[in-house]
Amino acid sequence: MSSTASTITALAASLRDGSSSPRELLAQTLAHIDATNTRTHAYLRTTRELAERQADAAARTLRANPESAPPMCGIPVALKDVLCVDGVETTASSRVLGGFTPPYTGTAVQRLFDAGAVCVGKTNCDEFAMGSSNENSAFGPVGNPWDVERVPGGSSGGSAASVAAGDVPCALGSDTGGSIRQPASLCGVVGFKPTYGRVSRYGLIAFASSLDQIGPFARSVEDAAIVYSTIAGHDPRDSTSDPRAVDDPLLRLRDGVAGMRLGVPKEYFGMGIDPGVREAVEAALRVLEGLGATLHHVSLPSTEVGLSTYYIIAPAECSSNLARYDGVRFGLRVEHPALIDMYLRTRDQGFGPEVKRRVMLGTYALSSGYYDAYYRKAQKVRTLIADEFTRVFADVDALVSPTSPTAAFPMGDRDDPISMYMCDVVTLPVNLAGLPGISVPCGFAGGLPVGLQVIAPRFEDSRVFRVAHAYEQATEWHRARSPLAEAAA
Amino acid sequence: MLARLGLDEGERERFGAQLEAILDHISKLQQVDTSDVSEMAQVGELVNVMRDDVREPCLGAERALSNAPAGDGRHFVVGAIQENELDG
Repeated sequence: MSSTASTITALAASLRDGSSSPRELLAQTLAHIDATNTRTHAYLRTTRELAERQADAAARTLRANPESAPPMCGIPVALKDVLCVDGVETTASSRVLGGFTPPYTGTAVQRLFDAGAVCVGKTNCDEFAMGSSNENSAFGPVGNPWDVERVPGGSSGGSAASVAAGDVPCALGSDTGGSIRQPASLCGVVGFKPTYGRVSRYGLIAFASSLDQIGPFARSVEDAAIVYSTIAGHDPRDSTSDPRAVDDPLLRLRDGVAGMRLGVPKEYFGMGIDPGVREAVEAALRVLEGLGATLHHVSLPSTEVGLSTYYIIAPAECSSNLARYDGVRFGLRVEHPALIDMYLRTRDQGFGPEVKRRVMLGTYALSSGYYDAYYRKAQKVRTLIADEFTRVFADVDALVSPTSPTAAFPMGDRDDPISMYMCDVVTLPVNLAGLPGISVPCGFAGGLPVGLQVIAPRFEDSRVFRVAHAYEQATEWHRARSPLAEAAA
Repeated sequence: MLARLGLDEGERERFGAQLEAILDHISKLQQVDTSDVSEMAQVGELVNVMRDDVREPCLGAERALSNAPAGDGRHFVVGAIQENELDG
């Protein structure tokens, strides 16, 4: 069986009934990547040697304990290039980290490896995960498998495109303002951002530390839940990692939505939403109603200032996090006899324009004269945004909305920064409040995929999966294959 | 200068105009009434997370320096910090 058409659950069965092996699956995956990557440029590099070692180890585990081996055992995965893997070049799609080879593996990735997953490569993304179209990568843009002239979304564009192109059944990305959910929506796959604190950020190259979370892309909600439960859980190496036990999202996955109260935030249907997207999402709401959920109009009035809040807090944190790229300990150094000039030249030549904009915006917002007016103000509005969610969740079990106001747009279409920032207008409030959210395919607009976003209270990650799974199983959208996946199959 | 970016003249002009537009856009934040609101630095409930003060395995100099653009086996090596060091 080819991984092209498959889910983790189907592949796990084939690895146990002897119809496939980790080595076979790996060979098919790498051949598939060879066929698609010239069109998508989803991979910055493949990791054949590491993958072969992991596939052989997985084969031994499956032979010894076929029943007790974890579901991820022998399953090919792709990793966004902001995730550190010991001995594998990791660049965050930035020139400033060209040639950087981490001396350690991050926790989320290590948990996947411990479960027997096979790492096939590192995926392209916006530089330091800053962007919504993958056009900010220093190593070239990514083509959307539904139309390679269009963007896959971002910043985890390569991971989303790889799953949509049928290369791998799942991939990891990171989500700071929508960077998993928005590309999942634009590429027609499932993308999940966990509750802040559920997945360790140790070994994730930091963008905005109070917002970043690692999460999965997959072809089904169940698969996303399998990957999530593999990587979630407390890690003493991340001081923001929550010590509470993680409930198994698979236990109540099939409980359905009958009797559930679902909130529809009216502000999420404004914000420049495309009519085709609105139509698809409204149809999805009727499906959920048909499954026994009740819909309730709710209001999150601070949504309008969410974007402004985010574009102070995220750049402020980024300007601090990116201060470490100074040509001293790792990555690029542009030589100059004076240290200060070495810093200036290294950072000027190492960073791309969007990273520079955000570093400048962040240092400005944090500078003594403007701290109160920008950073402190944004932190207060963040409280208002989080409180609005809390109030709404007193009345409804989950929220449903579009993931992105538009479907995939043509490359080069959004050359002014603010129009690009608008891509994340209904995903970034979820990060500001630290909530779990998912995007699940819910139809097409002009032949391009549309995603339905489901949001739940903090630590109710299982509820997100349950609502999304109920919707997915009642529709056929998740079975649709991109033209590129069909052609390469 | 705070950002430590050595921009050229063209970049200064381009970024200047873009940042002005962005700041103009985000200034709508000033209209929000936050008089009774406290600021939020993080979403979690965790405070002052500590670990036991015991020694743990660490990378060691060789691996820690393995990505350094310049090192002498035990240290990172950088250029002159003070201007007068430049002549020496």
